[in-house]
Amino acid sequence: MTDPILEVRNLSTHFFTDDGEVKAVRGVSFSVEPGETLGIVGESGCGKSVTAMSVLGLVQRPGKVVGGEIMFKGRDLLKLTKEELRNIRGRDIAMIFQDPLSSLNPVLRVGYQIDEAMYAHDKIPRSDVERRGIDLLKQVRVSDAERRIKDFPHQFSGGMRQRAMIAMGLSNKPDLLIADEPTTALDVTVQAQILELLRDLNEQTGAAIILITHNLGVVAGLCKRVLVMYAGEIVEEGTAEQIFERPQHPYTWSLLRSVPRIDASRGHRLLSIEGLPPDLIDLPQGCKFNPRCPFRVERCFTESPPIEQVAPAQHAACWVTMERAYAEMGAGTITDTSPGAASGVHPAGRRLPAVEVPAAIGEAVGD
Amino acid sequence: MTDTVVAAAARVAPAVEPLLRVVNVVKYFGAGVGASVKAVDGVSFDILPGETVGLVGESGCGKSTLGRMITQLLPVTSGEVYLDGVDITKLHGEKLRQQRKQLQMIFQDPYASLDPRMTVGDIIAEPLVNFKMISGRAKDARVQELLRTVGLNPYFNNRYPHEFSGGQRQRIGIARALALNPRLIICDEPVSALDVSIQAQIINLLEDLQREFALTYLFIAHDLSVVRHISDRVMVMYLGKIVEVAPSEDLYTSQEHPYTRALLSSIPVPDPRIESKRRLVELSGEIPSPLNPPSGCRFHTRCPIAQVPGVCADVEPPLELKGAGHLAACHFSEQVRTKIAITV
Repeated sequence: MTDPILEVRNLSTHFFTDDGEVKAVRGVSFSVEPGETLGIVGESGCGKSVTAMSVLGLVQRPGKVVGGEIMFKGRDLLKLTKEELRNIRGRDIAMIFQDPLSSLNPVLRVGYQIDEAMYAHDKIPRSDVERRGIDLLKQVRVSDAERRIKDFPHQFSGGMRQRAMIAMGLSNKPDLLIADEPTTALDVTVQAQILELLRDLNEQTGAAIILITHNLGVVAGLCKRVLVMYAGEIVEEGTAEQIFERPQHPYTWSLLRSVPRIDASRGHRLLSIEGLPPDLIDLPQGCKFNPRCPFRVERCFTESPPIEQVAPAQHAACWVTMERAYAEMGAGTITDTSPGAASGVHPAGRRLPAVEVPAAIGEAVGD
Repeated sequence: MTDTVVAAAARVAPAVEPLLRVVNVVKYFGAGVGASVKAVDGVSFDILPGETVGLVGESGCGKSTLGRMITQLLPVTSGEVYLDGVDITKLHGEKLRQQRKQLQMIFQDPYASLDPRMTVGDIIAEPLVNFKMISGRAKDARVQELLRTVGLNPYFNNRYPHEFSGGQRQRIGIARALALNPRLIICDEPVSALDVSIQAQIINLLEDLQREFALTYLFIAHDLSVVRHISDRVMVMYLGKIVEVAPSEDLYTSQEHPYTRALLSSIPVPDPRIESKRRLVELSGEIPSPLNPPSGCRFHTRCPIAQVPGVCADVEPPLELKGAGHLAACHFSEQVRTKIAITV
């Protein structure tokens, strides 16, 4: 076993807003091995980006990391001074963002911005910087790199800008690259090229990659291990094969069945997840997914399930798990995905989501 | 060329009159002296009653411009748009207004497409008021009925858009589009701004509504998986032209245009085993400028099987029948599947 380069333990990040305390990330723990590709998937507001921002010390007021440890190569990043953190960020840990246009300075040449990242950290000898800038641009497959390095960002297409951002991220030979929705703003053919580039760079440079995305397909193509986040918590963790083929958390399972697949035969109905993710200021009691879960049981309303091992290398936070849902609740054949539909658990007096018509509330109370 | 397309489409379903017939529609936007952006450049197709036709393509291919010309939100530069047999590009004023009742649109951004200062009830009732169809208590009853139809609480009619989530707002937009009992709905990226778990709710709702009200959809989106899921037929657009039209079942197994095949090869599948075998068809370069599209086949500058110099650079391939209900605009469509590998 190699030592992980990044180990996040019990991280909690909250935002102190006028409306109340938004508990965006709560008790998140995970680790990243050297050279590993880890995917963090979830929908907007699940805490995946806030987790990454917390690792990089980029959480801004009113947000604050309220607990936990972030161990990077044996040092707790949360205990470092701003100066010490700045020496790691962009040098040992690099980040690329969703929108490459707003991440680049429009009045500076692309080459200058790539070189600047190297000058700032003095890891690359100064005499090598310009040469390396061109090599990096070649490495991220920008054609005619010698000429294009003198261009301004507006002369680059969206895909090329993201390549330039990746070149900048790689310039100081980081151990870890955090990519937050790096392809979301791009067209699908360009997305595929960027993902292939990231895959190749991971193999060539050995830099570990944390890929944050809402797109399950993107994760399946790049990541060996996957974390699934919901409402600020990790609900499931496993290898890509486990997460996509044998998910144990009902949220992971439902998410996979709610997206149309290009290779699926037509005519089947998507299994939608009813309702909305919870309000992070006023979280439901018990399991945070219980208001939307077709497989919930009584216990889910009162006790929050801990994340526990469900298979070798696979963990899930669920009192039921899909294994039991298949065996006892007919998960393989359900068509009704409304809350409690498969388990028949509708506690008295519990308000159903707004999408239900009043008659259904009457029925639920009757149970 | 246009005649062959229309004839080909007619051959697929000879008995039924199309609800929408688009004939050789062109949209050029002026871009300074003597220059024009050829956003849509000669597009023809039919949509039969009750059908869902998908329109897919990358940003800038002209798919939204085409949708806007069909609704007459943008005037056509040339060409005809027949709605139920009437060319609406030739109509003006009240006549256009009356004909357009049959046609509604659902927009991409559920935040920008609802007036924040109107109540949900007023937003949904606005089309009814515009056409003086209904008023007073009957109007309120209709609004509540529409809210219930789209899966919202009927007593939410006095609330404002900001009180709703993105998915709920899209439901409000759908209720507004249904208010006049339209026959055709143009859905322009209706789910792309929504979260994954909410997308399925809206897609299922659109499918249910189609069945209930015998609706016809033109479904415009960049996501081929979503388009293929909901559509009976899919049209693929590239640089202002339709390059392929295929029944949805055929699209995944047989492509007759290299661009469609490349597009398909770029779509990630949530299955690591399939992903490890997927091979990306790398398209050279960037999408050319619609200011000055390439000669001959517009795709020839990036096509992996183009014969350049040769026929591909010189002659524009017509959109012609390649199989049952399957049209493509390629000189070498028979080589697409044999010469371009998409698995390893």
